[in-house]
Amino acid sequence: MSAAVTTERVRDLTPAERDLSERFDRLPKSGVRADLFDAFAQTGLPHRRMEAWKWSDFRASVGDLKTGGKSRKPLRVEGGIEVRFTGDEISIPDDLPDGLNMFVKTEAQGFGDAELMPLGALAASLVGKTVMVEVTKPVLQPVHMIFDGAGEGLQVARIAFVVREGASLSLVESHVGGAGFSDILMEFGLQAGASVDRTIYQSARADEAVAITTTGHLATKAHFAQTVLAFGAKISRIETRLAYTGAEAKAEMNAAYLARAGHHVDITSHVDHGAESCVTRQVTKGAVTDGGRGIFQGKFLVPRTVGQFTDADMQHNALLLENGAEVFAKPELEIYADDVECAHGNTSGQLDESALFYMRQRGISLNEARALLTEAFIAEALEAAHETVRDQLLEQSRNFLSEEV
Amino acid sequence: MLKLTDLTAQVSAEEGQKTILNGLSLEVPAGEVHAIMGPNGAGKSTLSYVLTGRDGYEVTGGEAMFDGESLLGMAPEDRASKGLFLSFQYPVEIPGVPIMTFVRTAMNSQRKRRGEDEISAPDFIKKAREIGKVLNLDSDMLKRPVNVGFSGGEKKRLEIFQMMMLEPRFAILDETDSGLDIDALRTVADGVNALRSPDRGMLVITHYQRLLDYIKPDKVHVLAAGKIIKTGGPDLAHRLEAEGYDGVLGEAA
Repeated sequence: MSAAVTTERVRDLTPAERDLSERFDRLPKSGVRADLFDAFAQTGLPHRRMEAWKWSDFRASVGDLKTGGKSRKPLRVEGGIEVRFTGDEISIPDDLPDGLNMFVKTEAQGFGDAELMPLGALAASLVGKTVMVEVTKPVLQPVHMIFDGAGEGLQVARIAFVVREGASLSLVESHVGGAGFSDILMEFGLQAGASVDRTIYQSARADEAVAITTTGHLATKAHFAQTVLAFGAKISRIETRLAYTGAEAKAEMNAAYLARAGHHVDITSHVDHGAESCVTRQVTKGAVTDGGRGIFQGKFLVPRTVGQFTDADMQHNALLLENGAEVFAKPELEIYADDVECAHGNTSGQLDESALFYMRQRGISLNEARALLTEAFIAEALEAAHETVRDQLLEQSRNFLSEEV
Repeated sequence: MLKLTDLTAQVSAEEGQKTILNGLSLEVPAGEVHAIMGPNGAGKSTLSYVLTGRDGYEVTGGEAMFDGESLLGMAPEDRASKGLFLSFQYPVEIPGVPIMTFVRTAMNSQRKRRGEDEISAPDFIKKAREIGKVLNLDSDMLKRPVNVGFSGGEKKRLEIFQMMMLEPRFAILDETDSGLDIDALRTVADGVNALRSPDRGMLVITHYQRLLDYIKPDKVHVLAAGKIIKTGGPDLAHRLEAEGYDGVLGEAA
């Protein structure tokens, strides 16, 4: 039974879902592709009646997929290896450094977590080209991937990384909007002792939808460090799902989100501590103004036996800058192993009135004072960003408030 | 320079609005340093917040003129740019904002509002280093976040550092002596005295006469129940110290 028929039996398709279904029908037929689209079609665009999506209703928010708008400026990455995704076009430099290979596969590739990640499954089912990145040595030059929707209705991309034993990669991503709906799937396989340092910058207009779905598998002593700065879109979700497959692996997942009026930012993560003595550190900081909405969902799963000696910490702190700002948070620890150290903290509050007055008394305007305090508040989450872009991220967050009067 | 006429002000409290200033009149001409002394609850800190425009301090009557312009209704940052500076009784900690960034932002915001050029980075650092030296604040300390982890005395020295950096036209020092040992008191007073000039005024709010041994006021005012009830020369501070507020106030009543 075709996917479209399945969904139609459950309910009416939205115009966007109908469009997605037609795009699927136009692609070359393949069993793998059909399975992927079926995985998506079981739910269609995720909606509020699904527990994991109750605060991020893509079904209601994704409009027709006719056109996008003007994209934002990407980060500047000094000495970076630039890989550009412009609409359907992909440009990869010819001369890659030793230890870094990139190639493109045109046939659809299977996606193991398809059922868990409907938008990941959707991207996997609709991409014409999957970019495979293989890292065999430590690569010093950062790779800069730019995702620019270029005015298209839909941009899909899928990149799969394999980082071989002892190899390492620095990756900077600029997700600059420009498509009505950007749906990006990133997969990381880290072999023993491999390491990936990833910095994500996301900015889009208030009439666009953005989904950046990531999976990561970490073998023994592998290290995955991720820093996100997200400004959201009409609806946006940055979802990261990690699994430890070898002992003593480590992940840092930090994120800062800044949501202004009309913008929705969802930072969701899931870490499966499926091997002994793994370490997870997660700091998420958010600041939201009137009409903005921030979502944090974090889950640490620590299974029995294999999860022994897990050391994991999850912190989420949100700043509601104005009346009318909204933040929803769901931190979860699900622990079955008995010898673990797991902690989580979750706070939300407002800017300190006495600090604001102190700063204004010195001559700093209210807007500037709020910007400085907000920057100071979220800076911790950006400390581990790649050094070539860290200052740019701080500048972006400083401008977040001072631009608005 | 600063002229307060029949100023009345309310503070929002849990039990509703509470009148704290009750017809306060006071004039500080340019070039003079005036002291305000008074018992707890007299309205000393309220006066400093009313003058600098803190939210929650509502002026209900009277006038506060600064250089012939009414302060009332002006935003705190605009008052600061006109040259009004408050050395806080309890300086506020600002985690994550380094002192140098903070002071430079403040200085340039003020300059911008006055239509002046921004200070260059080298000039700023040079000036900060010189003033830091006077106040025994080394450059490592100035890299730390504003007031975070500072002792009471260090916080007060940092207030004076900011004052000397910003060179205000009029400074209000609110209990700058509290929390200072005798050496720090002298350091702070030296800084304040260095700023005394014919075109600058100061209002020194204090509980004790001790600070006034180092910062010699031209006049001393006694504030009680929201108004100035007695004004005199520097000797009035000594009398208050000797006879207590009850003695002096009893005589005034």
